[in-house]
Amino acid sequence: MLELQRNVIFGQFVETGSFIHRMDARVKIAITCLFIVALFLIDSFVGFAVVFPLLIVVGIVSRIPIGFVLRGSQIFLAFLVFILFFQVLFYPADVPESGYLWRWGILSVSTTGLFTAGILGLRVICLYYVTTMLMLTTSLVDLTNGLELIFGPLQRLKIPVNELVLVFVIAIKFVPIFIEEMERLARAQTARGVPFDEGGAIKRARRIGRLLVPIFISGFARADTLTIAMNTRSYRGGRYRTKFRQMSAKLSDWLVLVLVTAWLIAAWLA
Amino acid sequence: MQPDGTPPILELRNFSHTYLEGTPRASEAVRDVSFRIQRGERVGIVGATQSGKSTVVDSFAHLLRLKPGQVFYEGEDVAAPRHDRGRLRREVGIVFQQPDSQIIEDVVGADVAFGPTAAGLSAPETRSRVEESLNTLGLPYPDYRLRYVHALSGGQRRRVAIAGVLAMHTPVLVLDEPMAGLDPRGRRELLELLIKLQRDRELTLIVCSTSLTDASLLCDRFIVIDRGTVVMDGPVREVLREADRLAELDITLPEPVVGAREMQKLFPEFPTELLTEEELESELLKRLGAA
Repeated sequence: MLELQRNVIFGQFVETGSFIHRMDARVKIAITCLFIVALFLIDSFVGFAVVFPLLIVVGIVSRIPIGFVLRGSQIFLAFLVFILFFQVLFYPADVPESGYLWRWGILSVSTTGLFTAGILGLRVICLYYVTTMLMLTTSLVDLTNGLELIFGPLQRLKIPVNELVLVFVIAIKFVPIFIEEMERLARAQTARGVPFDEGGAIKRARRIGRLLVPIFISGFARADTLTIAMNTRSYRGGRYRTKFRQMSAKLSDWLVLVLVTAWLIAAWLA
Repeated sequence: MQPDGTPPILELRNFSHTYLEGTPRASEAVRDVSFRIQRGERVGIVGATQSGKSTVVDSFAHLLRLKPGQVFYEGEDVAAPRHDRGRLRREVGIVFQQPDSQIIEDVVGADVAFGPTAAGLSAPETRSRVEESLNTLGLPYPDYRLRYVHALSGGQRRRVAIAGVLAMHTPVLVLDEPMAGLDPRGRRELLELLIKLQRDRELTLIVCSTSLTDASLLCDRFIVIDRGTVVMDGPVREVLREADRLAELDITLPEPVVGAREMQKLFPEFPTELLTEEELESELLKRLGAA
């Protein structure tokens, strides 16, 4: 609890200056979208086996230590295991009688249930990994600009792209800020005798409840400050805003896009 | 060791700390900080922002991932596996920079009672401690007991936070930037209160600040930290003698010292180790009389 930022890395940006960090944000976002589509299409363990080496390559090229990513995902993974456990137990009963390994009332363990949960688990882990990598390797400014440029054409349909992107990016980037805030609160409350760093899992979880009210209050205060700050600097979204940073995709960006697309199609067909 | 053989109440030995150590986001906050604080001392820990003051403060109550052999309370290593953290936190009271973060309950009375209750005191005893602490801080118990914390002003919330720590009757009281956000009157009142409390309860008082203005009236000794290391450590007047160096470290000097530095343009030998305007005046008169 004293260093919660170790355990939740969602939304953090880690500069390593790698090839992936230097790639055009639009290409990175496009690749992430390709991954998301592909991961929903892939429906077999073989398919995931083909995708897996690609994810490892991404991890190595990004130069972000895998231990850091794993430790930062442990809360998420624990939560996933918890959900999958119930997914298996309550799997709908359209299973042939021979498929059951164990059954008690509405609870059961079937081969189909295990298979579905396995695929679902892999899918969620891969989705989480790909989006986390996008955020770990792309700064807030690049992410916002990239998304605005990609979805820019939708403005012709009177969709407020700038505002939507801004809300999305703020939501994501507030996660690390809130984690830091929680850390600070936990530290101050520990000093007053709430031992966040002692006791079992349930006791610790109950103590976290004490942080919720102050977190909410500071969250609203922060949002309020942000709004005022944006207003005083005359922020105004919309298609007539120009960009200070111009993005340009290099040949290598396009090559990576083609390569990843080919790889993902191969995984889908496998 | 003190002459009578008791260990210092707080001691740091080559204390180093890196936040998020071993991750790509690691950042070193302090390096090789060593000092001893004796029981009953009034110490100011001074440094510019980002100098590592708050990290040092957090180490006193084991609020960081500490390595063994670096932080000692009454001669005992606080990072030792069997060290009682609960007891340590009942003895080292810390008032943080942002008072809001350490207010736990919604109602003033309940919040001040939180520490004593958690320490296992009886209800009547807790009540008397709450009453005493709130009254001491100028928040009359009957008026403020049932007030809603978030509806109070910033200065009042700071007082509630201090009351919450005072109610624990800790032998060590640490205040991180206690004067921030207070108006001149609030500062003066808090200063007087702290001096009185320290005297009456024989507290070990530690004050963290970027400014020497109030700290020079409150403390006997300054430990100056710059970029994570101790650069000066000594009695207040001795540290103030090196006013130029302090100014280089981005530390706000007390007004008499600022005045004395101006006077040095006229009288190069003008002393800077002055605590009050009266001292500045008498030094000036001495020199004008001589001229």
